[in-house]
Amino acid sequence: MSSGLLSRERIIARTGFNRWLVPPAALAIHLSIGMAYGFSVFWLPLSRAIGITTAAPDDWKISTLGWMFTLFFVFLGSSAALFGRWVEREGPRKAGVAAAFCWSGGFLISALGVHLHQILLLWIGSGVIGGCGLGLGYISPVSTLIKWFPDRRGMATGMAIMGFGGGAMIGSPLANLLMNRFKTPTSVGVEETFVTMGLIYFVAMLAGAFGYRLPAPGWQPSGWTPPAAQQKAMITTRQVHVDQAIRTPQFWLLWVVLWMNVSAGIGVIGMASPMLQEVFGGKLIGVAGALRDLTEDQKTQVASIGAGFAALLSLFNIGGRIFWASLSDYVGRKRTYFIFFALGFVLYCFAPTAGRAGVIPLFVALFCIILTMYGGGFSTIPAYLADMFGTVHVGAIHGRLLTAWSAAGILGPILVNYIREFQIDRGVPAAQAYNTTMYVLAGLLVIGFIANARVRPVAERYFLTDAQLAQELGDKR
Amino acid sequence: MERPSASSWAGVIFAWLLVAIPLGWGIYKTLQTAVKLFR
Repeated sequence: MSSGLLSRERIIARTGFNRWLVPPAALAIHLSIGMAYGFSVFWLPLSRAIGITTAAPDDWKISTLGWMFTLFFVFLGSSAALFGRWVEREGPRKAGVAAAFCWSGGFLISALGVHLHQILLLWIGSGVIGGCGLGLGYISPVSTLIKWFPDRRGMATGMAIMGFGGGAMIGSPLANLLMNRFKTPTSVGVEETFVTMGLIYFVAMLAGAFGYRLPAPGWQPSGWTPPAAQQKAMITTRQVHVDQAIRTPQFWLLWVVLWMNVSAGIGVIGMASPMLQEVFGGKLIGVAGALRDLTEDQKTQVASIGAGFAALLSLFNIGGRIFWASLSDYVGRKRTYFIFFALGFVLYCFAPTAGRAGVIPLFVALFCIILTMYGGGFSTIPAYLADMFGTVHVGAIHGRLLTAWSAAGILGPILVNYIREFQIDRGVPAAQAYNTTMYVLAGLLVIGFIANARVRPVAERYFLTDAQLAQELGDKR
Repeated sequence: MERPSASSWAGVIFAWLLVAIPLGWGIYKTLQTAVKLFR
């Protein structure tokens, strides 16, 4: 396959290729796999797959289905770490095609699982195989974009990773449309929706994978000259091998930076909407009283406003991905993360005060800004890695760093849920039980700030020598 | 390095439209939900 349709050699761009064709190819893949965030749209219909109108005794519980989320993010991180080197060696097209088969295949296996009513097929199909597709698809364009946009690394990776945040915005309403189209008196329509979405994503991801091109060795944007080494001490022009990178303190400091930023963000995402509803209660619909004092109809209205808040946050999440990553090209990665942690600390600590003051617009604005920095943390990290370790192994290094995301997927929800339960068990009113959680999450940001402050340029001994680099590049060709 | 040809920008616009149209639809649907917060 060395010179096959999917090989690296096959996708070296011809002279005069327009580099702006690569970001939409990356977006096609990230918008497809980003549907992972929107899978909760299937929970309710799947929990009535047998009973159709109400849950039957043999129907799946939502908590059982929810394990697919955990599997998604565990397998995203582990497959990105495991296959990162393979992606670098074989090139983004082969990785994109493999991601398309895994992600879409996961949908088809899940459709079979719905048909046979076997939850294991859903867990293995979407959770495990689909999760591997997430990992491969997520890292496939990163190093390619960084190589095409050495002058705007942050913006380039921000564009792709914005797609991962935006995938559910397309996938969730599309899934609703399809389920309404396919449902019958004997089916909730999920099986057919899985098959249709699997095929749509397969086509979109293949189009993206076949749109990938790699720049020829030595290519640089017209009119651009690399900054001198002394001028930009935090941006190296040399290369660190992935196996060496994980031996550096910088890798682990950045691992902690991502872990803390994502853990705090996941915690906030999980509690933002219920927090708004419980803190403001009837005030959200212009009536007096706490949430527990409202009628069922009023509670439904408040829940609808909570859903609107969650939707607004998702917009700021994807906006932050492109905004902060692009800004980092001008202010530097380290300063950008300092802003995330310092400004984030102030906002997390101030949120309970805004709640007590009863100022809804201020409370909403605080969370919107917080969510931009959660998204920005994901999109700025690949450029930070490229600055520290060079561009040759950045995809594989990024893959290994994504295990921090898996770890955050465990830490963030555990912190939020257990602190809240502990508070409520001690008699703290529900509306105030969030305050301590916000302060604990702010504490995570302090740890992230300290880790970021300790990031220094990588020591000389970790870099590849010219001979080693020539051999590396030769192996890839 | 050679600059991309003028005609290549037509391909760029087409490729971006292919991803921008579904993304724009998704953002529109999300905004429809988000406005409930301001009613």
